[in-house]
Amino acid sequence: MKRRLRMPESRWARIGLVVLNLAVFLAVWQIVAKQGWINSLFFPAPSETWQALIDGFSDGTLGEALLWSLRCFAIGMIAAAVVGIPIGLLMGTSDAAYSLLSPYVWAMASLPRVAITPLLILIFGFSQMAELVLIFLSALFPIIINCMAGPKTVDPSLLRAGRVFGASRLALYVKVVFPFTLPFVVSGLNQGLTRGLVGMVIAEIFGGNNGLGYVIQRAGETFESPTLYAALFLLVVISLTLVQLLRWLEVRVAPWRNQALDT
Amino acid sequence: MAYQYALVVYHTEQVENMDINPLIQARGVTVSYNRRRGEEPLVALAGVDLDVAAGEFVAIVGPSGCGKTTFLNVVAGLVRPAAGSVTVAGREVTGPGPDRAMVFQDYALMPWRTVEANVRFGLEFQRHGLSRSEVDARIAEAIELVSLRGFERSFPYELSGGMRQRVGIARALVGRPQILLADEPLGAVDAMTREAMQGELERIIAASGLTTILITHSIDEALSLADRLVLVSHRPGTVREILDVTLPRPRFDYDIKAHPDYAPLREHVWELLKGEALGAKEVRA
Repeated sequence: MKRRLRMPESRWARIGLVVLNLAVFLAVWQIVAKQGWINSLFFPAPSETWQALIDGFSDGTLGEALLWSLRCFAIGMIAAAVVGIPIGLLMGTSDAAYSLLSPYVWAMASLPRVAITPLLILIFGFSQMAELVLIFLSALFPIIINCMAGPKTVDPSLLRAGRVFGASRLALYVKVVFPFTLPFVVSGLNQGLTRGLVGMVIAEIFGGNNGLGYVIQRAGETFESPTLYAALFLLVVISLTLVQLLRWLEVRVAPWRNQALDT
Repeated sequence: MAYQYALVVYHTEQVENMDINPLIQARGVTVSYNRRRGEEPLVALAGVDLDVAAGEFVAIVGPSGCGKTTFLNVVAGLVRPAAGSVTVAGREVTGPGPDRAMVFQDYALMPWRTVEANVRFGLEFQRHGLSRSEVDARIAEAIELVSLRGFERSFPYELSGGMRQRVGIARALVGRPQILLADEPLGAVDAMTREAMQGELERIIAASGLTTILITHSIDEALSLADRLVLVSHRPGTVREILDVTLPRPRFDYDIKAHPDYAPLREHVWELLKGEALGAKEVRA
């Protein structure tokens, strides 16, 4: 008889399994690296990465890089949201705005944003501005495209109901179109976040002299792989935290969309 | 080829038992939609005449694509006719108004609003100068009327189809309209719920003294609910008829289908519509 592996029902048992999984993985890695079975320049033991993390924070280099990256990321993201959300909504609402802007939006959205890094460095030099602009541009277009989809896909039946019950054009927009669009805005932000992080790292690796990307690049050049791993680890933590936060927000603003998953 | 979907309704022997001033009066209502350039416009309605007396329940029955929904949209003030007019209580309809409310086939509830907030939507833009507490009282009353007490905080996605449509009915009634326009209100609920909801609808409408225009595909639903049936044709735009349904009320206290008059009525309606339904299928194929 075949036995199937099944996930346990209880929440704590699941968390326990995840912890166990990671512990075994790290322990095996630790042993294999310490025994010299793998090149510790490429795959340093977890204990060394941990040490590099502690050292990096105690001498301030990692903390400073982390703060720099987070600050740049926040500025670029907020700017992208402030510019992208209204443009997206406008393009979704007005056919004229859509016809006018869509060629540029689609061109920029399909262009791998990394490709414009040299141009940005040419324009802004090796400055913070180059990084901010790259984060901004990386996050902007996914935000615009998602926000645009909202008003374009509003259920016509809801609009009909709004009109029957006396909503003016403005009220229709505020009470029907906008709430309908909110989940689209959140998924736009979610996609913008991941793209923006890519932009941030790229800018720091190629043009920056600060931030986690710069730490990664420096550590690679000086063969300090534990530091490199420590910076990668921090990036994973940032990215996972932000994405989970946005997922949570997505469920909060549109619980009805997750109904299919529940049943 | 001309896409002519004429819908002309005669009212002959009904005229004498109608009020002198019917509440809803449709005269020569013609609606056409623009199609692609170079093509003739699609005529959805051509010269529809219909009178509905206050408190009357009229069911419009016909195959898909005969313009029933378009007619309802004209009465609701959502679509302006190209020719002809609709008056309600003597005044010409130029847009939506609080005297008319609608119930939709797909419920059209705002998924982000609770049951209570969805019902509130019916009063949000036409408060009739009510105070806050009066609005709240109206909402509670409407929710009570459709037996949804205890579900005020639920969201539509948490409710069954039948319950969602109760929310839709409460939203329509909360503004105390004179006229209820019901566009296939039970078309999307399962057969058992549908049967039960018909009884519910009869009770609610009788209790609130509404004038109702119901659109339906179902002959049984029309016969179970309406005072009069308006049979509309799809193609070739022939004139059908208006039929008095003299079955006793309330019809849901017992099985109205067992009434001796029911079968002959149903047969008559089906005879008239059979050709329409088949014709419609041919056209689509």
